[in-house]
Amino acid sequence: MADHNDPNAVNSIFSDIDISAADLYDLFGFPSADTDGGEKVVIALTFASIPAAGVFDTDMLYRILVSPDPRVVGPGSDEHTLKGLLKYFDAIKEKFLGPSKASEIRVTVDQSQRASIKFIDFPGASFSTVIDTNKVTTIDTPNGHAIKAYIGGRDDAFFNDLTGFFRSINYAPQFYRVPHTMAGSRELKIPKTLIELEGNHLFNFDPNDPEWGYGDNKRELPPGPHTWNGDKFFKDANGNFRFVYSGRDCQAGININAIILEIPLAFITSAPDHNRIVNTWGESWVLKAADKIETIPDHPFWLENPISLIGQLKLDDELKKYKLVDTDGQPFADAALSEREDNRQLGANNFWLGPAFVKRLAHLGWGFGPSISALGLQTSFDHDNSPVSVHKTYSLATLAFPRAKKTLFQSLNMPDDSWNPKGLNIPFRRPVEIFVPNVCAIDMDTTGTWPYGRRLEDQVATRFLSMFLDMEAELNGKKYHIELLNDPALWNSAPIEPKTVPNPMKNDKEFLSDFPYLAEPW
Amino acid sequence: MITKRTDFENELERIHQGLAEINGNALALPVDSAKVSRLAYLQYQRASLTGDLDALNDADATLDHAIRHLGPSGDFYFLKANIHFKLHRLNDVEQDLQLGRDLLLSTPGRALKADFDFQKGRYQAAQEEYEALIAEERTWDALARLAHLHFKMGDLEKADRLYDEAADELTAKEMRHYSWLELQRGVVDLSQGDYDKARRHYERSERAYSGHWLVDEHMAELLGAQGKYEEAEAFYRSVVERVPRPDFQQALGELYISMGNSPEATKWLDRARTGFLESAALGEVHYYHHLADFYADVDEDGPEAVKWARKDLDLRRNFSTLAALAWALYRAGQFSEAKELMDEALASGAKDARLFKTAGKIYQAASPNGKGARYLQMAAELNPNLNNFHVHR
Repeated sequence: MADHNDPNAVNSIFSDIDISAADLYDLFGFPSADTDGGEKVVIALTFASIPAAGVFDTDMLYRILVSPDPRVVGPGSDEHTLKGLLKYFDAIKEKFLGPSKASEIRVTVDQSQRASIKFIDFPGASFSTVIDTNKVTTIDTPNGHAIKAYIGGRDDAFFNDLTGFFRSINYAPQFYRVPHTMAGSRELKIPKTLIELEGNHLFNFDPNDPEWGYGDNKRELPPGPHTWNGDKFFKDANGNFRFVYSGRDCQAGININAIILEIPLAFITSAPDHNRIVNTWGESWVLKAADKIETIPDHPFWLENPISLIGQLKLDDELKKYKLVDTDGQPFADAALSEREDNRQLGANNFWLGPAFVKRLAHLGWGFGPSISALGLQTSFDHDNSPVSVHKTYSLATLAFPRAKKTLFQSLNMPDDSWNPKGLNIPFRRPVEIFVPNVCAIDMDTTGTWPYGRRLEDQVATRFLSMFLDMEAELNGKKYHIELLNDPALWNSAPIEPKTVPNPMKNDKEFLSDFPYLAEPW
Repeated sequence: MITKRTDFENELERIHQGLAEINGNALALPVDSAKVSRLAYLQYQRASLTGDLDALNDADATLDHAIRHLGPSGDFYFLKANIHFKLHRLNDVEQDLQLGRDLLLSTPGRALKADFDFQKGRYQAAQEEYEALIAEERTWDALARLAHLHFKMGDLEKADRLYDEAADELTAKEMRHYSWLELQRGVVDLSQGDYDKARRHYERSERAYSGHWLVDEHMAELLGAQGKYEEAEAFYRSVVERVPRPDFQQALGELYISMGNSPEATKWLDRARTGFLESAALGEVHYYHHLADFYADVDEDGPEAVKWARKDLDLRRNFSTLAALAWALYRAGQFSEAKELMDEALASGAKDARLFKTAGKIYQAASPNGKGARYLQMAAELNPNLNNFHVHR
C-alpha cells in the first residue's frame, strides 16, 4: 500500500513494450498459376519485421485458418432489409463457429530461428515439421501432397498512400502527436472526405510543408475543439478541388516478415471440385508471461523430424499459453470498418459486429458520399444530395441501414472478364459478403483478384473506395466498376489537383513470377 | 567466465541508452513533445527501477518544462500524478488530475483517480471505478488494482482470483509487470503466514524478471519471517547496498534486533532515522508513515510517533493511517483517542491480521470488555505467524 513500488501504471500509456511483431499487415490469397499436379492456392500472411526482416520474435505464434466451402449465394434481393441482413449473419455464423471448424496452419519460430509449422485438422492428417526460415522449402505431407513454404523476410507487398487515407478520415495520430490520454482524439469529429474541406486546417495539405503527415513529420496537436464548422469543399484559384490523396507509396522501401504457402487444394479439402472457395484469415498470438517462465520439457513432439503426427489435445494446450493480439482477413476491415479496436479482433467471427458494421458504413458514407457526388460521380450512399461531406454517427443500426443499404448490397462490377478466366456463372460480390465474415474468400475458379481473393498486384485501397460508387451508374457508356477510381483518365479529366489516382498503381518492387512471389527484402 | 546479465541490468542499460540518446536536446526550444515525453518517461522509469525516489524530481522538472512550453497535456500530468503518488504528495496528485487536459476522461487517468480515492479511504468509490474500468476493458493493471483492494478488505479469495486474471492478461513482452504481480501474490500469502506459497510466488517473480532488488527485498522479509536470519541478512545487505533507502535500512536494523545483534541493529536504525528525518526536513512527505512506525515500534517514543502519524493522516485518511495514529497514541498512553481512531479504521471494512492485532491491543488498554481479546484472536486466525519478523509496507 505504501511501499513506493507501486505498479508502473505509466507503462499502460507510455508503453515501452514492443509487441509489434504481433502487428499483422496483410493477407493475400489467390489460386496459383502453377497447376502441375493439381490446383493450388497461395496464401501469404505478412506482419511487422520485428526484430528484423527475416528474424522472428520467438514469443509469437501465427495462425492461418482455412475453411473450404462451396460458393454460396448471399442474401437474396427480398432480404435486403436489416432483419434479412442480420439473418444472413446468423446463418453464416454457424459455419464459422459451429461444428465445421476451420483447418489451421500454426507457426512458431525457436531461438535458433527454425520454424515449427503445424498443419492441423486438414483432411487426412494433422502433422508438423520444422523448417529453416528465409528459405523456400517443400513439405511433403503424410498423405502424399507437396506444400511449398517460405517463412522469412520480404519486401512489403502493400503499396498505398496511407497518409492520404488518414487525411481522408481525419486521423490525427498520422499528423499530430496525440497524447496517449486523449484516446478520443484519433479520428477527429470532422467529416470524412475524398476532397479537402474548406478551412479544415487541421488536415488540409500545407504547400509550405508538403511532407507533413509522411514518415514522422508530425505537429503538436493544437488545443481543441478539433472540429470543422465549414459548409463547402475547398477549391483553388482555378476552381479545382484538392484531392486528399497523392498517389504516393508510403510503404516503399519497407520490409515485412511473412508466412507464404502454396498448398494443393486437394490437401485442403477432400472435395476440391465441390469446395471452390477457400476462406482464410490470419491471427497473431503472443506468449503469456506465465508460460514464458515455465520450463519446456523435452517432449517427443519437438524431437521427431521431419514429420510428427499431432493430437488436438496438445494443440489446445499450446494455444492456451498464448494471447490473441491481431487478426487479418479482409484489407481495411480493421482500419476502416472496425476502427482498429482491440476488442474487435475477432477474425472470421465478426458477426456480432453486424450492427456496428452497418453504422460505421453509414458514417463513412456521409463523408465519402458527398465528396464523390461533388466530383460528378454517382454514389451508392444516400446522403440526401448533401453539397458537402457530413460528420454523422449513428447509435441505431435501424437508422443507419436505409442510408447504407445500397452500399451494402450492391454487386461490385468488375472492369472486364479477366477475373473469370473460365467464363463461369459467378455472381459479382457484394460488400456485405466481403466483410462479414472477415475472411479472404479465394474463389478457385477466378484469378483471385479482389474481392475474389487478393492478388499481390491488386490496388485494394482504391478498390475499397469503389464500394461508395453507384455500380448501376455509367461513365462513357460503361458501368462503374471497382477499378474506376484507379483509372488515371478519370482523374485527368476531373476538376481536381493533384491529378492522380488515389493510391500507387504498382508496388515499389516487382513481384516474382514464381514462389514465394513477394519480392526480396530491401 | 561470462556471467549472464540479468533482466534488471538489461532494462536499466536500455533506459540509460535512451537517456543518452535524447538527454542533450530534449529540453531545447522549441520543445518537441515526443522527445520531452520520452525523456520524462525514461527519467521516471530509471527512478522507479532503481528505487531512487530523489531521482523522480528529475522527471518532475522535465515535465514542468514541457508543460510550461507545450501546455497542460494529459500525458504530462498523468506522469506527474504518478510521480506525486510515489512521493505521497496526494494534494499534488489531485491537482494533476484536474489540470491534465482530458486526463480524467481517459482510462489511465480514471484508474489513477480511483487509486487516489483508495488512498483517501474512499474504498467504495475506488472499487466502483475499478469495476467500471474492467467492464470496459480487462487490463491487467485494472484487475490488479481491484485485487489489491479486495486483499486489503480481507476478501483473499477474490483477490487471488483477480490476480490470476491479471496474470493471464500479461504477455511475454511484459515480464517485469508479471514479476511485480507475483510479488503482490506473495505478499497476500505472507499476510496469512503461508510461507511456502509466498516463496513460490517470489521465486516465480525472480524467474520472470531476474536481478531486481525488489524481489530480493521481498525474499529477505520472507526469510526473516521464517527465522532464516543469515539468509535474510544477506538479501537485505544486498538491497541496502543497491538501494540505500531508510525504509530498507530500518528493515535490516529490525532484522538485527531479531537476531540479537544490537550493535548492527543500532547502526542501521540510526541510519534509517537520520534518512527519514532528512527527507522530512526537506519538506518531503513520503516517509511520514515510516517515521510514525519507526517512533512507535523502534524507539517506542509515543509523542514523536503521534506527531508523524498525524501529519500522514492529514495527507490521507484511510484505515492504514488511522491505525498508525491509533497505535502511536497507544504508545503515548492516549488510549481513548486511540480507540476512537481504531473504531474508524475498522469501520472501513478492512480485514488484516496486523490491523486486528493493533486493534486488540488498543481495545484491551482502552476498555476491558473482551473486545480486545476477540481482535487478537481474529488476528491469530488470519495469520498464525503474526509475531514473526515483518516489515512495514
